[in-house]
Amino acid sequence: MTTLIPIGRDYESLVQEDRVHSAVFTDEEIFQDELERIFHRTWVFALHESEIPNAGDFKRLQLGRYPVIATRDEEGGLHLLINRCRHRGAQVCESNHGNTRRFQCWYHGWTYDCRGDLVGLTGPEGYDENFDPTQHGLTPVPRVESYRGFVFASFAKEGMSLSDYLGPTKPYIDIMVDASPTGELEVKPNVLNRTRYRGNWKQVGMDGYHPHYVHMSVFKIFSKRESTTGSAVGALQLEDPFSDASTSRTRGFPNGHAALDFREQRQPHADNAIAELRQSEDGARYVDDMIKAYGEERARDLIAWHGDPHLGIFPNLQLIHGHVRVVVPIGPGETEVQMYPVFLKGVEPSINEKRLRSHEAFYGPAAAGSPDDAEIFERTQRGLIADIDPWVPLARGMHREQVDEDGSVVAYISDEITQRAQMKEWKKLMTAKK
Amino acid sequence: MTQQLIQAAPEVIRQGLVDTGTQQRLERFLALEAALMDNHEYDRWMALWHGDDVLYWVPCNSDDQDPSTGIAIIYDDRSRLLERMMRLKDKTAHAYRPLAKLVRSMSGIVPVAVEGNEIEVVATFVLGETRVGVQNIWMGRTIHRLVDTDDGLRIRSKKVLLLNNDDAMPNLTFLV
Ligand code: FES
Ligand SMILES: [Fe+2]
Repeated sequence: MTTLIPIGRDYESLVQEDRVHSAVFTDEEIFQDELERIFHRTWVFALHESEIPNAGDFKRLQLGRYPVIATRDEEGGLHLLINRCRHRGAQVCESNHGNTRRFQCWYHGWTYDCRGDLVGLTGPEGYDENFDPTQHGLTPVPRVESYRGFVFASFAKEGMSLSDYLGPTKPYIDIMVDASPTGELEVKPNVLNRTRYRGNWKQVGMDGYHPHYVHMSVFKIFSKRESTTGSAVGALQLEDPFSDASTSRTRGFPNGHAALDFREQRQPHADNAIAELRQSEDGARYVDDMIKAYGEERARDLIAWHGDPHLGIFPNLQLIHGHVRVVVPIGPGETEVQMYPVFLKGVEPSINEKRLRSHEAFYGPAAAGSPDDAEIFERTQRGLIADIDPWVPLARGMHREQVDEDGSVVAYISDEITQRAQMKEWKKLMTAKK
Repeated sequence: MTQQLIQAAPEVIRQGLVDTGTQQRLERFLALEAALMDNHEYDRWMALWHGDDVLYWVPCNSDDQDPSTGIAIIYDDRSRLLERMMRLKDKTAHAYRPLAKLVRSMSGIVPVAVEGNEIEVVATFVLGETRVGVQNIWMGRTIHRLVDTDDGLRIRSKKVLLLNNDDAMPNLTFLV
C-alpha cells in the first residue's frame, strides 16, 4: 500500500501547521528520504544499557538502513558498530544477541574484536605496508550518548547533544526509571513482543483521541473487573483518563517529542494503588522501599504513575506503561514494532511478574490492545492511498493550546498536539540543509 | 517438544501408551477442537476446558521462556481466558472483524505420558489463514494435557509452540 507519485516532494508544502499531505505516509521516495534525513541524522534510540551488561555481550540492531552491533568491551565500554565487514561488506554478526570475544566474517575470514578493531587479517602477506589494519576496523556509529541507561545513536558527526535533544522530556523518562526503588531498570534483549503491520511508522504512538473507539472492547471488559492492581491500563475503571473532562493532557515538546500526560489524573489514585500493594507482603515492601528511596511525596506520585511516562521520543522510541517500544520502519507501508517489558531492579520477583502479566494482557500479537491498533493502522494505510482529497487534518485543539513553563505545548487529552509536534520536527529535519 | 518425541521411552513409540480406541478418540478430539477454533465457536471451545486451574500458554521469544521472568503471547488462566472470549465475541474487537477464514490440520498426534485419567499429547499443526486479501501460514506444535472425564476428553492445559514465536508477526487474530 504505497505510492510513487511525482508530487515534487516539497516538504515545506506537504506539511502545514494544521494538516499533512497523505503522501508523507505512503510515498516510496519520501520514505527513503526519511531514512536519510531523519534516521541517519537525528538522535535515534539504540538500546538500553542493561541489555548487554557483561564484557562480550552483544545485540544486533537496525537503525534506519544500517545494521548495527551493540557491544560491551572488557572495560565496560559500550560500542555501536556498523555490521559490515570492512573488506567486501558482508555482515559479520548474524545472531540477534549473545556473548563473544570476536566477530568473524565468514567471507574471507577477517576478524574483529568487541571494539570493532581488526584483529585477524587472513593472508596478511597479500597486503603491502600501505595496508593499515587500524583503518579497517568496523565503522563506529559517530555519536553515542545515553540518559539513565537509554542509549541513543546519531550518524551525524556533529549536532546537538543528547541532553539538549531530550530537553524537558528527561523528568518523564525518570518516571519509568524511578519506578524502581534503586533507580535501575533491566531490559532483556530476548524478552520482547515483535509485531508487524502493513502501515506507516508514524502512526504508532501518542494519540489520546483513539482509545474510546479503537479499544472499545477493552473498555467494556475492564469495566467489569473488580481489581485493577498493577495495571495502568486497568485504572480505566476508576474514571476515564481519555475524557476531555479529565485532568489528562497531551504535550508536545521541542524536537518532536510528545506525551500523553496522565500525571495529574493519576495522582488522586495514589492511596488506592498503595492500599492494593499493601495487601501483599512483596507489595508492602515495595511501597516501603520506594518511600525510603524517594521520600513520601515523590514515592506516592511514582506509585500512582505506575512507571508510565507515556512518552514518545522522536523518531523511534516510546516509553509506555511498563515497556520500551522501538519503532522500526521497514517501508512506507510496513512497520515493525518491538515492545520490551522493563523489569524493575530492587523489587521482589512477584512485582515484576505482575507487571509482565499486565503487559501481556494489552500488548502483543494476540493481546487485547495491540492487534486493534495494528488493524486500524492497516485500514488507515488502505484509505490514505486514495489521495484524491489528500489532506489529513491535524488541527484538533489548536485553539486551546497553551505553552507550559518547561516550554512544552499542552492541551486536552484528545487534542492532536502530539501529532503536530511529531510532524513539525519531521518537516524541520526533512527540509534542513545538509 | 520435538524432544519429547525424540527422547521418548521406546514404548511411547512402539506399543504406544494408550490402546487404539483411545488413540482414535484423541485424534477425533483434537480434530474437533481444531474445527471449533477454525469456525470461531468460542463457547463450545471454552466448554472443552476442564476445571479451574487451566492454562492456555503460547510462549514468546522461545519455546522455553519462563513466564515468571519473560513474556508470553498468551498466558491465560481461566479468568483471563474468559475475558479473551468476551473480547473475541465483541463486535468492536476490530482485529477480529471481519473474522479470518481458517483451516488447520493436526498431525503427529502421540500421547507421551499417562497419569491416572490425564493424558499428555503432543501434535503438530499447519494453519492457513486468509483475511482482507492476505494469506498467512502459521505452523507449530501443541502439547495438550487432557483429562478423560465421563463427558469425554477435556483440556486441562495447552501449550502452543509457534514456529515463528521469535520473529515479528502480524495479528494473531484467532485461537491457536
Ligand atoms: S568480506 Fe569480510 S573478509 Fe571478505
Ligand atoms: Fe492504541
